[in-house]
Amino acid sequence: MGNAVGIIANPVSARDIRRVIANATALQITDRANIVLRILSCVKACGVDHVWMMPENGGIRHHVRRGIDRAENQGQKHFPKVEHLDYKISGTVEDTLKAARLMKEKGVAAIVVLGGDGTHRAVVTACGDVPIAGVSTGTNNAFPEHREPTITGLAVGLAVTGKVPASDAYLPNKKIVVRVNGHEEIALVDVAVVTERYIGARALWRTETFRELFVTFADPEVIGMSAIAGLLSPVSRLDEGGLHVRLAPEDEASIILDTPIAPGYMRGIGIRDYVPMKPNHKYRPSIADGSIALDGEREVSFTRDDDVTIELVPNAFRTVNVSGCMQYAAHHGLMRMKPDQKLKRVGGQ
Amino acid sequence: MARKISMRQAINEALDQEMARDPSVFVMGEDIVGGAGGMGEIDAWGGVLGVTKGLNAKYPGRLLDTPLSESAYIGAAVGAAACGMRPVAELMFLDFMGVCFDQIFNQAAKFRYMFGGKAETPVVIRAMVGAGFRAAAQHSQMLTPLFVHIPGLKVVCPSNAYDAKGLLIQSIRDNDPVIFCEHKNLYGAEVDVPAESYAIPFGEANVVRDGKHATIVTYGMMVHRAMEAAATLAKQGIECEVIDLRTLSPIDWDTVIDSAERTGHVVCVDEAHPRCSIAADVSAMVTQECFKALKGPIQMVTAPHTPVPFSPVLEDLYIPSADAIAKAVKKSMGK
Amino acid sequence: MTAPNSTAGIFPLDKPGLLQAYRTMRTIREFEECLHADFAKGDIPGFVHLYAGEEAAGTGIMMHLEDKDRIASTHRGHGHCIAKGVDTSGMMAEIYGKVSGSCRGKGGSMHIADLSKGMMGANGILGAGAPLVCGAGLAAKFRGDGGVAISFVGDGASNQGTFLESLNLAAVWNLPVIFVVENNGYAESTSRDYAVAVDSFVDRAAGFGLPGVTVDGLDFFAVYEAAGEIIKRAREGGGPALLECKMIRMYGHFEGDQQTYRAKGELDDIRANKDCLKMFTQRVMEAGVISRGELDAIDREVVAEIQEASAFAKAAPLPTAADLTTDVYVNY
Repeated sequence: MGNAVGIIANPVSARDIRRVIANATALQITDRANIVLRILSCVKACGVDHVWMMPENGGIRHHVRRGIDRAENQGQKHFPKVEHLDYKISGTVEDTLKAARLMKEKGVAAIVVLGGDGTHRAVVTACGDVPIAGVSTGTNNAFPEHREPTITGLAVGLAVTGKVPASDAYLPNKKIVVRVNGHEEIALVDVAVVTERYIGARALWRTETFRELFVTFADPEVIGMSAIAGLLSPVSRLDEGGLHVRLAPEDEASIILDTPIAPGYMRGIGIRDYVPMKPNHKYRPSIADGSIALDGEREVSFTRDDDVTIELVPNAFRTVNVSGCMQYAAHHGLMRMKPDQKLKRVGGQ
Repeated sequence: MARKISMRQAINEALDQEMARDPSVFVMGEDIVGGAGGMGEIDAWGGVLGVTKGLNAKYPGRLLDTPLSESAYIGAAVGAAACGMRPVAELMFLDFMGVCFDQIFNQAAKFRYMFGGKAETPVVIRAMVGAGFRAAAQHSQMLTPLFVHIPGLKVVCPSNAYDAKGLLIQSIRDNDPVIFCEHKNLYGAEVDVPAESYAIPFGEANVVRDGKHATIVTYGMMVHRAMEAAATLAKQGIECEVIDLRTLSPIDWDTVIDSAERTGHVVCVDEAHPRCSIAADVSAMVTQECFKALKGPIQMVTAPHTPVPFSPVLEDLYIPSADAIAKAVKKSMGK
Repeated sequence: MTAPNSTAGIFPLDKPGLLQAYRTMRTIREFEECLHADFAKGDIPGFVHLYAGEEAAGTGIMMHLEDKDRIASTHRGHGHCIAKGVDTSGMMAEIYGKVSGSCRGKGGSMHIADLSKGMMGANGILGAGAPLVCGAGLAAKFRGDGGVAISFVGDGASNQGTFLESLNLAAVWNLPVIFVVENNGYAESTSRDYAVAVDSFVDRAAGFGLPGVTVDGLDFFAVYEAAGEIIKRAREGGGPALLECKMIRMYGHFEGDQQTYRAKGELDDIRANKDCLKMFTQRVMEAGVISRGELDAIDREVVAEIQEASAFAKAAPLPTAADLTTDVYVNY
């Protein structure tokens, strides 16, 4: 069965300045490894025998290896065969991009991603049509849904083995494409235009510099830049377009919105106005010089001499519809075990 | 005005008076207040043997209980001293030096020299020493020789409450790192101690008994054993001069040499182990300086080359006795 | 049209600040390269450990400090000293063991200190600075002077008990202390991959309830910005934190180290692609904020300063026998 799955677990997410200026956690390496083990055992339970993983030197793979070895020592066969992709580790986002590309080439049926918005964005940049399932382990997790990773693993297993039909198993997602002089970058949730022109420590927290926000969806239950949109005018992931918010310094604003822009970090954001963001329409930044933050991290700076466009693209990539898969599984009795299955599990498969 | 107080009380008084006089003095150590973070009383202990009890109420914020991490807090005391404070850090038992010795011998001791005279590290490290408490091998050692060996450290070991108060006040005022050794078995002993503040200079031994026949050089609890031996020997017509060194580094060679030249018979008594002990140190120096005046070889009376045993009958054999000292005096006199 | 000195919005420092940053980094690089050359000639006694390649981290952090703030360095301390304002001629003379050195020739490269500048010394004992810095933080807290104290350790020394105990002590006492892990990937010849269980110093800090931040130590601006926030927080009573700077070192553990533990081509790759000074220069010039001419002028001044320091050191007198026994104690 060609239903191998990929797992990309980023060891470097949740390490930036927001641990100091906000109350962001630093999800430990061992906790991330633990999440990987949960997902591995659940996809195996659905019949996935082979998993590809991104190599890293953050310590995740050693803990995962130990977890698998411990189970084998005890005669358990809970885990699929785990192989790490073979390339030189740079310790940068390049590793994530390379992993996603290679996993696509190897024909994985889905990629599970452990990270924040930045990690998910990198994976989507390279994975093409391969559906992804997000697990939030980063600082800002507006994109990946928050749920117990065990369930994410189970849903992925049910989806890739075809137990849940594709129409129920996968959902379409929007993305925003930012082009600067023809060079493309994407965002999965939000594109912010700020007046600061330096990339520096990347994260966004100086609210007086925020000028404009474009979001693919606006969920009032998430934090970060997209919370600004979410608390103004919710837009679902399945709605056609997004939201375009123009921001202003407090003294020029028509609304001041008290917003959780980082973990435990509330700030008043000045709003000038907001309108729907049309799909497939090239917007331009309203300021001449500044930088663009993609999913909450400053990535590109620009001046009046640069050609900058911002465009929402619908049906850009697929995600595993975790809640859809689990509802289907419940309603169709997918988890009811056949007698021979029970015997197999007890004896070890 | 003097009144009888114990060595424990004398040490408490020295800390009290110095903290009152100088706001840069503060105290830190494990359980020196006691009860931190708990639901019971604060100042539950005031130090494991109650030496610092009562100070926390008088000087709120200047007595810091520390986590169980000697490297970190002894190092912090050294660092704070290098930045102009005058910390008095308690290393509960000198036996615990193993885990923090680097901060003492490689850092505190060497800053002044390594930094070309531009550093001052006025830290005092108070620690309990000595056997007889039935506290066994890792809580009963007399490790003074290890510290005396290090240039840049000063080592003080009083034998009584009067010296303890004056020497601790001097230690706090001194601008070098001082290891202040408190013999746990002497905490309760009472003598006359002036109520007012006073300092005893370093490098000045105390001749606690005059005598013309033999010189006994010692420190700490052994001073008391030496005095017992001297009393016994006096009945036999042998008059011993007993020198209480008080500070081991700097050491008062002049007083020792003067006495050795007069009596010609010298016994060095040390509760430390025999190899590289203070006894060995004094013996070698006196031999070199007073060879012609010596009428017989110098005798050393020390603990044996063993860890401190637990069983009381063994521990009592471990500690040098008055009897052993008296025998050594006679031996030095060829008797 | 912005004023010529302004870099508003482009960089987190104004133009004089950028020039100062360049000058400091350039001075460190020139100092270390000069030592590298002189050491190879056999002119310098003992051991030297060069900071070349790590300049962005030390400089990005030290630019937020004043003389009242203290730092404790590692054995690789020249860069920290220079960034903290210690005089280069005194340093050079000290490394040569001359009596005109910052420590009168008594300390050498591994023990250079200048307490008047808050530099509590380079240290030959790895990890020893962490407890000392807790003490400096404690002193600042007692005095209420808003001072902070910074302990630098390498990836290797982050395994020392003294470092871990200090994280705990600083957390428990809420000290204004920052622990900087200069992660250059090697502890002498041993790779961090081998020696550090779970390559995340932020996780170590988290283990003691302290926040940690990881930055690219080769990016002066990333270090400057992150360090600024962390130091500000500590000054305001927000407590200790850990800053990991991922970096490289251009030379060996010590001068004379054959570095056979490195991968083939690793050193060439470092010089070509991981030179923090080149990267800084490129960014400020590309932004049109500083011209090549302005940087060249600084280069000339720095080269002259270091040449002067070297000449001073070589010509300075040696200590005499009388100096051997001085300054063991304050009073004798």
